[in-house]
Amino acid sequence: MKFIVTSTDLLKHLQTVSGVLASNNTLPILDNFLFELNKDSLKISASDLETTMITNVSVKAEEQGAIAVPAKLLLDYLKTLPEQPLTFTIDEKTLGVEISSSYGKSKLAGFSADEFPKNPEMEDASQVTVSADILSEAIQKTIFATGNDDLRPVMSGIFCEFSSDGLRFVATDAHKLVRYTRKDAKADSTASFIVPKKPLNLLKGVLGSTTSDIEMEFNGTNVKLSFDEHVLIARLIDGKYPNYEAVIPKDNPNRMLVNRTSLLGSIRRVSIFSNKTTHQVRLKISGSELSISAEDLDYSNEANERLSCSYDGEDIEIGFNSRFLIDMLNNLDQDDVELHLSAPNRAGILVPAGDTDEGVDILMLVMPVMLNG
Amino acid sequence: MKEEANNSGSEQVITHLDLDTFFVSVERLMDSRLNGRPVLIGGTSDRGVVASCSYEARSFGVHSAMPMRMARELCPEAVVIRGNTGNYTKYSTMVTEIIRERVPLFEKSSIDEFYVDLTGMEKFFGARLLAAEIRKTIINETGLPISFGLSTSKTVSKIATGEAKPNNELYIDRGNEKPFLAPLSVRKIPMVGAKTYQTLCNLGVKQIKTVQEMPVEMMERVMGLNGRVIWKKANGIDRSPVVPYNERKSISTERTFDKDTTDVNKLRSILVAMAENLAFQLRRGEKLTACITIKVRYSDFDTRTMQARIPYTAADHKIIPKVKELFDKIYSRRLLVRLIGVRFSHLVSGGYQIHLFDDTEEMISLYQAMDKMRDRYGDRAVIRASGMGAKSLGRFNPFNGEPPPLLANRHQ
Repeated sequence: MKFIVTSTDLLKHLQTVSGVLASNNTLPILDNFLFELNKDSLKISASDLETTMITNVSVKAEEQGAIAVPAKLLLDYLKTLPEQPLTFTIDEKTLGVEISSSYGKSKLAGFSADEFPKNPEMEDASQVTVSADILSEAIQKTIFATGNDDLRPVMSGIFCEFSSDGLRFVATDAHKLVRYTRKDAKADSTASFIVPKKPLNLLKGVLGSTTSDIEMEFNGTNVKLSFDEHVLIARLIDGKYPNYEAVIPKDNPNRMLVNRTSLLGSIRRVSIFSNKTTHQVRLKISGSELSISAEDLDYSNEANERLSCSYDGEDIEIGFNSRFLIDMLNNLDQDDVELHLSAPNRAGILVPAGDTDEGVDILMLVMPVMLNG
Repeated sequence: MKEEANNSGSEQVITHLDLDTFFVSVERLMDSRLNGRPVLIGGTSDRGVVASCSYEARSFGVHSAMPMRMARELCPEAVVIRGNTGNYTKYSTMVTEIIRERVPLFEKSSIDEFYVDLTGMEKFFGARLLAAEIRKTIINETGLPISFGLSTSKTVSKIATGEAKPNNELYIDRGNEKPFLAPLSVRKIPMVGAKTYQTLCNLGVKQIKTVQEMPVEMMERVMGLNGRVIWKKANGIDRSPVVPYNERKSISTERTFDKDTTDVNKLRSILVAMAENLAFQLRRGEKLTACITIKVRYSDFDTRTMQARIPYTAADHKIIPKVKELFDKIYSRRLLVRLIGVRFSHLVSGGYQIHLFDDTEEMISLYQAMDKMRDRYGDRAVIRASGMGAKSLGRFNPFNGEPPPLLANRHQ
């Protein structure tokens, strides 16, 4: 089989799917791209068994055929080439791949396409259409809160709850939590599933360059997203997502309204002087003053800043990991935020204040650290 | 190496103060009948060791860290006292305060020992005068006898204090360190314990003088890196600074049984009590641990330890199950157990990060309530029923900057 393709075009598509490639694959065949030629379209797949990403690139060809090509070798080679047509000639018997460029010829050995794992069939799948910017925003706002604990795999993904009321995305690592709800997008039926972090991170990268709608298909085991010339198939995380609604405190009488960027700036500066392992900062709110302090006893470092805020509630002193606060404040866009508190040993809730976009609801929760008296 | 060639570059003036037979002296303040009589302080059971003994008792051959049983045999007429840590800490603090008022930089290296850095003082006060004045004040204000040695390094001043005792002072001037050390036994060097001493004796080295005359390479060949350090100390070379406060890197408790036991329930109960108390100490000091170690010593002195890394925590319900799990793993020999212990290391400052799903609000409030009660009414005010069997565990706040009390063990 034989095809002609523009080198930069091919490279761009290979780089899109190459994010799937794992560094230590159990199956050696997964270190390859799968090329499937069908007339004028070349389908390129990369997989790590859990996640598979497929893209299509237009080529000039007259035949059909398939082969697995070593990914790293091909990428390294293409990166060095300026834009030009490349001719791939593949001997299906010996699995030799010959690439002709304007500079000369190179040869590499491919593998049989049959060795490459087959994509899962999407049986009994439900379907939802979501716009790229909603999905991209949902991933962006929640993915930082996912966990890394191997012992709790469910928390290493984003929990998606779809219903006719709207779409909801939840992420938590048991210390912080984000609940992102869109009322302006809906599903026909009710469904919930947990998508692992890796495919979502890949998606985040690709979604930025598209404006089209995304076809989402899902069943109990897999999710399949199709848009433009790309397809992403991911195995869902099996398990029960913790009951997050139960741990969001409902009654939070102490409410503080504060400028987001000033708060973020203060916490950033103060946290530099906090303990390097725990990143602990202390928030003290009384009257209309918020004081943020941190100390690192090991190095005799300490910092204290004051901010004015509007506060309605009892005086309170509460400790947080500053990393969590910084992550959360960074992922909000509004000028002002509200922090809802009830007691120093109960969760703090951060929500955007003022006018929010129609149909968008975001709630962030952070657990405090225990402070002494 | 430059520093080995001579010590003249060092400008240090350091004095080492050591309260004489500290525990005995405190007991004598409480009860004057003890004056002039041999006194032993330490564990009174068969397994107990002598924590402190009076000079009268020493003349019978008793020394600290000796098993109490042996000490009693050597000196049957001695008064044996269990000791009262609270009193000792109180007096130790009084002495600390006197020193703190008078000098800018000092290190409290144990309950009854202090290093004071007097470098540069001679210009204004005269280091000797100041040290002597501190000693006089301590004697006058607390009634406790104290000795000190003053020299150019921690090692030499400490050895000088040992020579000055009891209740006296000794000055070793710059340049006189080597001749002062030369006639002394190598055993007097702070690093040299029974084992090292044996090794040195086997080499025919008894006097520090011999070490001084040996080439450093030879010491290093025989004893490794320690050899070099011992050689330096023997030559009065010691640049270690006076460190005002030592941040604790780990906290631990251990317990030697009066009678070896195989009672697993009792062992578990003691471990629970230990872990519970240490976890409380963590929370009180706003610390977290990330490494738990369990130690078991069998009756044949086979000692085993096992440790596990955990996420940073100070919560009983995370620590105690881990302690039990480690104990079940490590306790594998069907043999009597002589000692068990728990240690938390990899400590960092910080409060416990509350978990969204595992920790209930009641649990956190419970910890806070328990800790409040313990702060107010003592460490044993509330304890787990499963740990109630364990009495007389060493319970003290390890994060107040003080060295651990009791077991003022001079044989380090």
